Amino acid sequence: MSDATAKTGYIRQAWLVIFLALAYGGALAGVQTTLGPRIEENKRQETYSVIPALVEGADKSQTVEKTITGKDGKPQTVFLARDSQGTPRGWVVPATGQGFADRIDVLIGLDLDVSTITGLYVLDQKETPGLGNLIQDPAFQDRFIGKRTSEPVQVVKDDPAAGSNAVKALTGATISSESVATIVNSALKNLKEPIREL
Amino acid sequence: METLIVLIQIGVSAALINNFVLYYFVGVCPFLGVSRRVDTAFGMGCAVTFVISIAALLSWIFTYYILRPGAPLPTQVWTALGGSPSVTVDLSVLSYIMYIFVIAASVQFVEMYVRKFFPPLYKSFGVFLPLITTNCAILFACLIIMKNLQDPSQLWGLHHAMTMAIGGGVGFTLAITLMAGIREELDMCDVPKPLAGPGIALITAGILAMAFMGFAGVERGIENAIAMLLK
Amino acid sequence: MPLDEPTALERLINGILPENPVYRQLLGMCPTLAVTGAMMPAMTMAAATAFVLLSANIIVSLIRGLLKPHLRILVFTLTIATFVTIADRALAAYMYQMSKTLGPYVPLIIVNCLIISRCEICASKQSVGVAIADGVGMSLGFALALGSIASIREILGSGTWFGLHLFSYAYTVAENILGWVTTILGMGTLGLPDIHWQNWGIMVLPPGAFLTLGLLLGAVEWFGQRRRRAGE
Repeated sequence: MSDATAKTGYIRQAWLVIFLALAYGGALAGVQTTLGPRIEENKRQETYSVIPALVEGADKSQTVEKTITGKDGKPQTVFLARDSQGTPRGWVVPATGQGFADRIDVLIGLDLDVSTITGLYVLDQKETPGLGNLIQDPAFQDRFIGKRTSEPVQVVKDDPAAGSNAVKALTGATISSESVATIVNSALKNLKEPIREL
Repeated sequence: METLIVLIQIGVSAALINNFVLYYFVGVCPFLGVSRRVDTAFGMGCAVTFVISIAALLSWIFTYYILRPGAPLPTQVWTALGGSPSVTVDLSVLSYIMYIFVIAASVQFVEMYVRKFFPPLYKSFGVFLPLITTNCAILFACLIIMKNLQDPSQLWGLHHAMTMAIGGGVGFTLAITLMAGIREELDMCDVPKPLAGPGIALITAGILAMAFMGFAGVERGIENAIAMLLK
Repeated sequence: MPLDEPTALERLINGILPENPVYRQLLGMCPTLAVTGAMMPAMTMAAATAFVLLSANIIVSLIRGLLKPHLRILVFTLTIATFVTIADRALAAYMYQMSKTLGPYVPLIIVNCLIISRCEICASKQSVGVAIADGVGMSLGFALALGSIASIREILGSGTWFGLHLFSYAYTVAENILGWVTTILGMGTLGLPDIHWQNWGIMVLPPGAFLTLGLLLGAVEWFGQRRRRAGE
């Protein structure tokens, strides 16, 4: 007798859980459909809103997304920055790599024939506060402006000589600074030719 | 070879540099609660490592095949039902619920396994096992796996996920055992009354965290060392 | 209902100090240590936790008659996971930068022992009104705990509070007052020495979190012990 009631008790319990699961699933599906597009837009805006700062004269609403295959065979999204009339002005390339503490995500601004760096923006980093995380400061990022892509960007401790393809490292954050340069160099090495072919 | 370097980096990072307890603050509750004696601490660490590995395995499988944006199984169901193939099927909103079930199942499984094959072990800390369900560290491992299965161009394989999970478990065990050793010594010291118990434990954890900060940058050193060895 | 169960008002007040979730019950340590580097993330986390706690308490209290012993933890966890997902998505939609700062710690609210324990102790046994009061009390207590730790860590570690540079403002105000005073007294120009707040970097890093919480716990214990001794 008690066996049967226990069993019905379990079945009734299971109905409750199943009903709740369906109700919650429906609620979450609703949340996803309402908020999903907004979140996607936020993610895209994060990149797009920086593009005018990286490429001169770019209008962020005129940006075109392109997918290319790098030399390593992996697909990569790059952005063609255009001005308000639609004339191409330059490229913005996302790149990522290992920093001192964790991954660093950057956006590299390049001119149309991918020969000069027009800007650098660090999207995400978890470097040491007060030292390494200053790579997100414009003071550091602007050091990359004007550097050539024909050779790797070097990182030096003192002020670089005029005309050299070197940037000055952050005091007390040599490894973070070098990581950023390595990320830029490998991205350029991997994607320079494929972008030029576009 | 590059895969091996990446795996070593992931493992060392999870165990030492970004230690789950001392850097990411997950698993602090059992860390404070069970670290009074070295043998129970070590046992808890092993149990957590075991559960994390199983949970990572299951959550990788579920996330890769079902939950990530553009996952194969839902996409096939969608196209079979006549949906347009240009729509990315994204079930990731159900991720957290799925992970909770995975963790509960992993803990159940480990509990059954330990009870069957190591009865004396089960008796000594059987009560801790259900507690592991609310251990942030395991859900955190699942979240890391989810994060690394989002970008289609940089997906983590199962080997990456397992290395991270086992590394994290080893790091947790290391931290909790060290902590237990220190607390055993502290028992014989004259700790100020207000700080006795969790207070001094947290301060000790802080100093231990400072010590572990010394590991930062180690994975780049490993990378360079391996590169030199290979030359 | 048994007469010795706490009333709504008692639940509310209990949650703030006497049974403070962090300082007394030692629950929810993970977010407490992780997001208290600055006030803004700390308060956002407190708000998210409050949302999940209140919603879960309300739902569990509404269905408390249907819950049987075996599956109730599962029901609690399902409910909490759903509301955490909603909170996480809402944050990503409306406060994107903050959601990136808080990162994986918002989903970790699911395993915040505080919420499950409130569902178990209060919501599954008492009416919706009491459950709401309990949720509000505990949320206020949690926010208080997070705020106290975050204030110390942010002020000492970055010299700011909610992003405002306190020490620079204080310095500028002091300089202005000094200038005003010296002008009135005709003492010519006097300047303040060139001092600046040196950030205690350790406060923003993990060890600072552990140390601050440990010392604050000690302080709360000390006050409690003094009060108990005075009461004897």
